[in-house]
Amino acid sequence: MQIKRKNLIRGDVAAVPAGVSLGALNNGFLWAKSADFNSDVDVLNYALTLEYLEAEFYRQGNSAGLVSGKEADYLDAVQSDEESHVATIMATVKKLGGDPVAAPAVDFGDAFDSREKYLTTAHVFENKGVGAYLGAAGFIQDKAVLQAAAGIFGVEARHAAVVGNLLGLEPEGGVYMGVTETPLTKDAVLKAVSPFLAGAGAMGDGAAVTL
Amino acid sequence: MTSKLENQIFDGQPVVAIQNEHDRRTFLRSALIVGVGAGFVGYKVGDPTSGTRASAWAGNLAKPSAKGDLEILNYALTLEYLESEFYTKGVEASILKGREADLVAPIRDHEAAHVQAITATIQDLGGKPVAKPKFTFPASTFKSRDKFLATASTFEELGVKAYHGQVTMIDSVDILGAAASIAGVESRHAAILADLTGGEPFPQPIEANLPMSAVLKAAKPFIAG
Repeated sequence: MQIKRKNLIRGDVAAVPAGVSLGALNNGFLWAKSADFNSDVDVLNYALTLEYLEAEFYRQGNSAGLVSGKEADYLDAVQSDEESHVATIMATVKKLGGDPVAAPAVDFGDAFDSREKYLTTAHVFENKGVGAYLGAAGFIQDKAVLQAAAGIFGVEARHAAVVGNLLGLEPEGGVYMGVTETPLTKDAVLKAVSPFLAGAGAMGDGAAVTL
Repeated sequence: MTSKLENQIFDGQPVVAIQNEHDRRTFLRSALIVGVGAGFVGYKVGDPTSGTRASAWAGNLAKPSAKGDLEILNYALTLEYLESEFYTKGVEASILKGREADLVAPIRDHEAAHVQAITATIQDLGGKPVAKPKFTFPASTFKSRDKFLATASTFEELGVKAYHGQVTMIDSVDILGAAASIAGVESRHAAILADLTGGEPFPQPIEANLPMSAVLKAAKPFIAG
């Protein structure tokens, strides 16, 4: 049997031959470069920056009165998840003897002009978050930290799928992003979120997140 | 997730019939070989601050190993076979319409791809993939939209917990990454099915996990012979 990749992986029409292995199937599989992270605290502070961004994004978005009913319920739950991730990661960094990075100053531009812009930006954030966690997971040494990071990664994937569905996106390529998740390098993730950081490399410039 | 719940869903009938004694033993033995079940002492889901690697490996837990990785992959393969067969039959039954049908058809394709990818990975590692078990779902499972989707939701949540239960047991970082890349897709499935069935797409901020022994306990009533 051949797996038709048509409509499975972002419209790529190539067929994956029988006998393909996980490594080959997940062709874009890239662990972040080893130089990216020197310790679990490094990985966690990277994740913490993304979680600060997400938590603040949903806090502002949910305050903008753009959604209602089931959508509002879902997005409230997502905000609460992100705030929980911030708190969990901060506590973990401290437990490991590190210093949690400060929340970056953020600027989400016109993301809250409409429901569509809000959800579309959320969809980007969630999918980048999924890729970021997967790309960094291999650097985590502490097994309990790894368990938690993987657990957060899975929840970000839930968020991404549901937001994609709220937007009515194509199931494949919008709700699901292929047969496997795709890891992202630290560089790719930071590049993707940099438009939302107020000032280049503004991490630590101000605590925009209040928990 | 209890076997009682699955008994209700499947009318108490066995669903999984492992094809031969070797595979059945492999599946059931896996929990013992990789040493899960004892649990991480003092470690609670959602609180990574409560354990470190040193404490996590305390006690009787087997350390990750290449052999253990093969056992984990065969365990995952068996669960993916179950999901793949389930969705193939469910989609064939044509009981979903419109957007729901469009959301579920790709899940069938994903599970089939997971079966193939895990099979090939086991072969690449020099292992022997378990044969496809024989599944006997009660006909009622595919007669109504509600029952099909409720069963699907149960399977997906169990699958997510099963993958997350193996995260710290995997030795190879490449296999960890590959397994995680599948687990994330299962999380997407679980969230969408919860949405379709009026459930909770985000049951907790951090995915819960189950050790292999607990998943096998839930599955055991459906393993014939």
